[in-house]
Amino acid sequence: MINHDSQLKLQAYLDGELSAKETAEVQNWIATDQDAQLLLAELQNTNAALVGFEAEIKLPETREFFWSKIQREIESQEKASARVSARPFSLGAWLQRHLVPVSGTAMAILVLLLVVQVAPSKNQVGEMELSSGDVGAVTFRNESEKMTLVWFYDKADSGFTESDSLASLDQE
Amino acid sequence: MKIESDHSSASDEQLVAAAKKGEMAAFEELVARHRDKIYARAFSMMRNEEEAVDLCQEAWVKSWQRLVQFQGESSFGTWITRIVINLCLDQLRKRKRQRTESIEEMSEESGGVERQMPVVTVNPTERLERGELRKRIDAALNQLSHEHRTVMILHEFEEMEYKEIAKTMGCSIGTVMSRLFYARRKMAALLANLKTEELK
Repeated sequence: MINHDSQLKLQAYLDGELSAKETAEVQNWIATDQDAQLLLAELQNTNAALVGFEAEIKLPETREFFWSKIQREIESQEKASARVSARPFSLGAWLQRHLVPVSGTAMAILVLLLVVQVAPSKNQVGEMELSSGDVGAVTFRNESEKMTLVWFYDKADSGFTESDSLASLDQE
Repeated sequence: MKIESDHSSASDEQLVAAAKKGEMAAFEELVARHRDKIYARAFSMMRNEEEAVDLCQEAWVKSWQRLVQFQGESSFGTWITRIVINLCLDQLRKRKRQRTESIEEMSEESGGVERQMPVVTVNPTERLERGELRKRIDAALNQLSHEHRTVMILHEFEEMEYKEIAKTMGCSIGTVMSRLFYARRKMAALLANLKTEELK
């Protein structure tokens, strides 16, 4: 009985995947082992049976019909692509694409700061205080896009105020 | 030679160059030349005529859209074949459902039945006429799992090396060798044992 590693080595020999040294070793083995000769012959017969198999398989559609489907699909995708690139600028879509990830990050940072405040480390030297009075929030609602944005900021560190933010949004 | 007026005698390289400039007629000629080979590869992998035709169509549309990326490092035929192979692999992965593995599948990676199968000592296909052999191969391929079938197709028909198959299928070279060995041994047994009733 040939062990599995040797079986795979015999197959690799058949497929030309061995180094020159390994090839010589396998050739010596085959010359003296009848089981190896039989297995090699079986693998070779299977390969031989498959030769030319795919050449007999033909597409079951006429050239014209098959091409018409491809052409139609190409044209349809090109039209769709052209429509997307010609779409007018939408403030709501722009805000959704650019500001939502930023506000999400801001929210995560805020939550992190609150957690730090609630569970301070014993080794903490200073203290960080953050109360709801220090945090400002601006809300923007776009009815046509059915979207609401909430922007948080630190009142002490920023010259940014609610009236500023609303004014800037109005301008846009 | 003007490609616009004589596509049938133009080389693939000339047709690709013309198609890159947007000439659909040149691309149509490329489709006509390679469509059977592309379909045969898709059908061998999928074992379903309708699915194979759809995937071929998708491959041709993709190749048109990506034609500018084709730099001629391989032949156009090889390039479009690799596109359809990748589409088939994606489709097979999608299709694969969570299912209880059969004893044979479980033994594939861990030391299985193919090692104990007796060697087929006579060539089972020797006295068969081509049509009969084709039926037997078709039936045998249907009985292999898609992983085994794909490894065999990529090796025997696409003539890929182990390393390339492993990269294409996202597995190790050892797995490729194991699957190929199993697939060949199973094919040998099926080609020898399939009865006429099973083929009808």
